[in-house]
Amino acid sequence: MMNDAKTLGDEVRVWLAEHWDAESRRAKSGGSLAEWMDQVVAAGWAVPSWPAEWWGRGLDKKSVSLIVNEFRKVGAPGAGQDRTNITANSVMQFGNDALKQKIIPEFLTGRASQCLLYSEPGAGSDLAAVRTRADLQGDHYLVTGQKVWTSGAQNADYGLLIARTDWDVPKHEGLSFFIIEMRQPGIEVRPINQITGDSHFNEVFLDGAVVPVENRVGDEGQGWKVMQTALAVERLVMGDGAGERRQGSSKNNVVSLIDIARETGKINDPVARQEIAQAMAYRKLNALNMLRAKQEMAQGSASPIMSLGKLAMSRILHEDARIMTKLMGAASMLDGPEHSLAADVNYRTANAYMTSIGGGTDQIQRNIIGERVLGLPRETEADRNVPFRESRAVTG
Amino acid sequence: MRESFRRLLAEKCAETDIRRVMASPGGHDADLWQAMANLGIVSLLVPEEFDGIGAGAVEMEEIMEEAGAALLAGPLLPSAFIAASLVSLSDDADAKARLLPAIASGQTIATVAFTGDTGTWSLTDISVTARPQGNVWVLEGEASFLLSANLADVLLVFARTPDGVGCFEVDPSKVQISPLVSWDPSLRMSKIALSETQAVRIAGVDSITFEQLIEIAVVALAGEQAGACRRIFDITVEYLKTRVQFGRPIGGFQAIKHMAADLLIEVESATSAARSAALALATDAPDKDVLISLAAFACADAFSQVAAASIQMHGGIAFTWEHPAHLYLRRARADAQLFGQSDAYRERFVAAMEKAA
Ligand SMILES: Cc1cc2nc3c(=O)[nH]c(=O)nc-3n(C[C@H](O)[C@H](O)[C@H](O)COP(=O)(O)OP(=O)(O)OC[C@H]3O[C@@H](n4cnc5c(N)ncnc54)[C@H](O)[C@@H]3O)c2cc1C
Repeated sequence: MMNDAKTLGDEVRVWLAEHWDAESRRAKSGGSLAEWMDQVVAAGWAVPSWPAEWWGRGLDKKSVSLIVNEFRKVGAPGAGQDRTNITANSVMQFGNDALKQKIIPEFLTGRASQCLLYSEPGAGSDLAAVRTRADLQGDHYLVTGQKVWTSGAQNADYGLLIARTDWDVPKHEGLSFFIIEMRQPGIEVRPINQITGDSHFNEVFLDGAVVPVENRVGDEGQGWKVMQTALAVERLVMGDGAGERRQGSSKNNVVSLIDIARETGKINDPVARQEIAQAMAYRKLNALNMLRAKQEMAQGSASPIMSLGKLAMSRILHEDARIMTKLMGAASMLDGPEHSLAADVNYRTANAYMTSIGGGTDQIQRNIIGERVLGLPRETEADRNVPFRESRAVTG
Repeated sequence: MRESFRRLLAEKCAETDIRRVMASPGGHDADLWQAMANLGIVSLLVPEEFDGIGAGAVEMEEIMEEAGAALLAGPLLPSAFIAASLVSLSDDADAKARLLPAIASGQTIATVAFTGDTGTWSLTDISVTARPQGNVWVLEGEASFLLSANLADVLLVFARTPDGVGCFEVDPSKVQISPLVSWDPSLRMSKIALSETQAVRIAGVDSITFEQLIEIAVVALAGEQAGACRRIFDITVEYLKTRVQFGRPIGGFQAIKHMAADLLIEVESATSAARSAALALATDAPDKDVLISLAAFACADAFSQVAAASIQMHGGIAFTWEHPAHLYLRRARADAQLFGQSDAYRERFVAAMEKAA
C-alpha cells in the first residue's frame, strides 16, 4: 500500500514520462491503443483502488483522483476505470473468479466492447418488468425475448443482459444479470433510425441465445442489485458529460456559446449575454459540484452530489441547444453540410434527449434523488409485491 | 471554530432569539456578539499583529454559511468582515493601529458606506464628495443601504476626491443617520447625509481597493446565501416527510418530490460556488473573476428560488408570521440586492469567460 500522495504522484509522473509521449500523444513503445492499455493495466493504473491480485494497487479514492489527474495532464488514456468502466465494475463486484479473469482484461484494455441489454418494449423506466427469459439448461441458459434502444449493439462483443429467471416471485426478485456473447446465431440486431439521423441504437432479438452459467454475474435472482451498480456507473459517466456529442463524432465535444455568439454577431447583445451567462453557469456549477463530490468521496464520506450530475447535465445540454438556436435565429431552420453551424445546433437539439431519456429519464432521476438522497417516500408501485406472472406486465 | 460557532448559534440564535432580536430597537444581540468575540469570530479577518486571528476568505465563507443558516443579522458582516477588511487593505498604519484591535475585540462597531441611492455598489454610484481643507477633509453628500449603522462607532465612507475615489473615517455623531425600514425585519439599514462633515482620510484606499472590498463582501454574502439556502431546504424536506395528506406524506407526491430534487441541485451548486469563490479569493487564483461573479448570482438566485419554493411546498402554514419560512424569503430577497444584482454579475461572469475563451 502506498499512501504518501507525493510519492505516488512522483511515481505516476515518472512512469508516464518513461512510457508515454505527451507531444504525439502516443505510447513510446508505439503499437496500438490496446497495447498501450496493456501497459496501463499491468502497472496497476487502470483500476488503482482494486486489490493487487486483481489488476489494482489497493489504493484509496483520493489516490485514484491523483493518478487520473496525472494521466489527464499528459493526455494519456486508461487510468481510473474503477470509476467509469461499466462492465469491469459490475463483473469485479459480483462475478465469479473465472469470469473476472476472462472478461475484465478484455474490457480494461478496450479490446472488447459492450452493449446494455436492459430496455424492452414493455419495460423502460420500469426496468424490473422485463420479460426476456433466461432458462437454465445444464451448464448454460437459453435466452429468448426482445430488447430495444440498445446502443452500439451492432458493434458490441458482449451484452450486459438483464433477464427473468423466476416468474413466480415479485418483479425485482426474479431477475438475473448476465454477460452474453453478441456474435452468435441466436441474436439478431436491427438498427433503428434516430431523431439525430444516426443509427446508434438497435432492436435486439434473442431467440434461444446461449449464455454459459459462469457468465451469470451474481446469483440467480440478484440481477436487480447487480444492475443498480451498472446503472450507477453509467449515470455517473453521463453526469460528467458523456452524452455530449457533435454530429459524426464520438468524442466529447463541449460547445462554446461565446464562439457562436461571436460568429452570429450577437456577442454584444445584452439579453443574449444574460442567457449565455446562465447556461455557462449551469455548466460551471456542475463541474464545481463534481469536483467537490470527488473531494468529499476522497475523504471517505459518501457524496449525494454524484446523483445530481446526470439531471444537471440534461438541463445543461437542453439549455445550450436552446440558446444556440436563439443565437442562430432563422438560420437554425437550415441544415446540411453547407450550413454546418446550423447542422451542429440541430444535432445538439435532438441529441440532448439522449441524456434526458437514456440511462433513466429526468423524471426517474428526480424520483431517485427524492427517495434515495432526500429520503422521501417511495413511489407506489401497483405490482411491487405481486408474483410477476400475475402482474399487468404479463396479464396486460 | 466552525463547530463551536454552530453550537453557539444553536444555543443563542435559535428562531425565538432571532424573533426577539428582530423586534428589538437595535436589532442586535450584545450577549451573542460578546460570545462571538470570545470565540474569535469577530477578529477572524484581522491580522495577528492587530490582535486578530489572521484568517482569510475560506474561513470567512465557512462562518458565513453558519451565520446564514441561523439567519444571524447584525454587525458580523458589516463590521467584522467588511469594515475590518477595508482597513486591512489600506496602507494606513495609524488607521490600522487605531481601528483594527478595537474592531477585533467587538468593542468598536464599524460599517462602510459604499453605495448611493441607486444601490448598485459600483464606483459610479458613489455620490459623496470630499475636499481638502487645511489638515482635514470635508465631506458632502449622501450614501445609502448602510448595514448596522445604527450601532456604529465608526463610519467608513467612500467619496470622490480631487484625486479619485478615497475613503474616510467619519464620526457617526457628526452625520445625520436615517433608519430605512427593511422588509427583512432582522436587518437594520440606514441612509446617511453628510454636510460640511469633517473626516480623516484613510491612506491607500482607492478604486482598486473598492473593487477588492466588493469581492470580499460578495464572497461573504455568498456563504450566507449558501448556508441559509441549505437550512431552509432541510427544514422543507423534513416537513415533506411528516405532513400527511391523502393518507401519505406529501413528499411522496411527485409534483413535490421533483421540486425537491431540482432544488437540491441549486442548494449543492450554491455551496460549491460559494466555497470555490472563497478559495479563489484566498489564493488570488487566475479564474478569481469568473468564480466570484458566478458565486454572486448563483448563490443569490439559489437562495431566492429555494426560499420561495419552500413557502409553496409548506402550504398555508408558511403563510403565517409564526412560521420561519418567510424569514428566509425576506433575507433571500434582501441578499439578492446587496452588493449588486444577479444580472450585473451575470454580465461580469460572461465578460470574464469571454476573456478566457
Ligand atoms: C439515446 C438513447 C440511448 C439508449 N440506450 C440504451 C441502451 O443502450 N440500452 C438500454 O437498455 N436502453 C437504452 N435506452 C433506453 C432508455 O433507458 C429508456 O428509453 C428510458 O429508460 C425510458 O424508458 P421508455 O423509453 O420505455 O419510456 P417510459 O418508461 O415509457 O417513459 C415515458 C415517459 O413517462 C415517464 N415516466 C415513466 N415512469 C415514470 C414514473 N414512475 N414517474 C414519473 N414519470 C415516469 C418518463 O419519464 C417519460 O417521460 C436508450 C435511450 C435513448 C434515448
